[in-house]
Amino acid sequence: MSREIKFKYWDEITEGDTITRVEMDVPFERVVLDAASTQDYFPGHHNPDYARHQGQKNIYLNTMAIEGFIDRVVTDWAGPHTFIRKRQMQMRASIYAGDVMSGEGRVEKRYQENDRNLLDLSVLISNQDGPCVPASLTIELPLKASVA
Amino acid sequence: MTEEFNVPFPLEYGSYEDALKMVGKPDNRVVAEFSVNWEMIKIYCSMEEDANPSYWDEDYARKQWGGIVAPPGLLLSWAMSLQWHPDKERQHYFIAMKIPLPGDTLINVGTTTEFHRHLFLGDRLSVEDQLVSVSEEKTTRLGVGHFLTTQANFFNQKDELIAVQTNQLFRYYVPEAK
Repeated sequence: MSREIKFKYWDEITEGDTITRVEMDVPFERVVLDAASTQDYFPGHHNPDYARHQGQKNIYLNTMAIEGFIDRVVTDWAGPHTFIRKRQMQMRASIYAGDVMSGEGRVEKRYQENDRNLLDLSVLISNQDGPCVPASLTIELPLKASVA
Repeated sequence: MTEEFNVPFPLEYGSYEDALKMVGKPDNRVVAEFSVNWEMIKIYCSMEEDANPSYWDEDYARKQWGGIVAPPGLLLSWAMSLQWHPDKERQHYFIAMKIPLPGDTLINVGTTTEFHRHLFLGDRLSVEDQLVSVSEEKTTRLGVGHFLTTQANFFNQKDELIAVQTNQLFRYYVPEAK
């Protein structure tokens, strides 16, 4: 049941294109795996008492988990030839254990600069209650002709 | 409600004036404990359910990048301090955790990262960061505290720039309920 990998090229993309929505549930197991896999043992990510002391309702995903999910939303859509040049994200609300996290986005700009084929993207990460983390990225993709 | 935690989170305490004195001082360069390794990459990608063959498929990654690469989201993890080490104290490597301020907790607010090149299996990352600014005391929906902006530069073992990251976090305390 391996996932189908789609390859995309810069010249196939148009401004305004939709970045396909990705959804993933976030059980306690994923939050704990997040702390372990990123080596980030800040207690808000594994200790519910500490998270509540911080004014949070439960343990929550760390920045690196959200960054990786933003990148996955982008590369699931743009394909593995993607080089992420820049990623900007604002943590407006936390993603808690028990939430369902989703991400979707849009191509804002398509341009060439310093021999690079670039795309500016906006991506919004949400949970079941609404938007949590708005992000913007600049990615680089090859031209179709360059790989033929 | 009891507020006893198994392991207190170690932070430096002090005043806003103490924090201001730290602005612009570069922290020591920290060399990562771990070299970039496929095992950690796979564990992270399984957490994200990320099937990108740049992280999983040697043949694809070799053709496209020259080898398996590290996911950009794992950038901070390579230099994290172990929970325990026979010779070294457990220490935060982020300067943001070492700034003297009154708040007893913190939360990340925003991160901007520019990536210059990939990290490959076997690479050894080093990091140097500094405090760019500390805000005056602010009150948000979470509590009362200060916003810290830091900038970190990441290099590989050849001293090539891998990434530059600017981070903002909120160091705060939750005021007692009235």
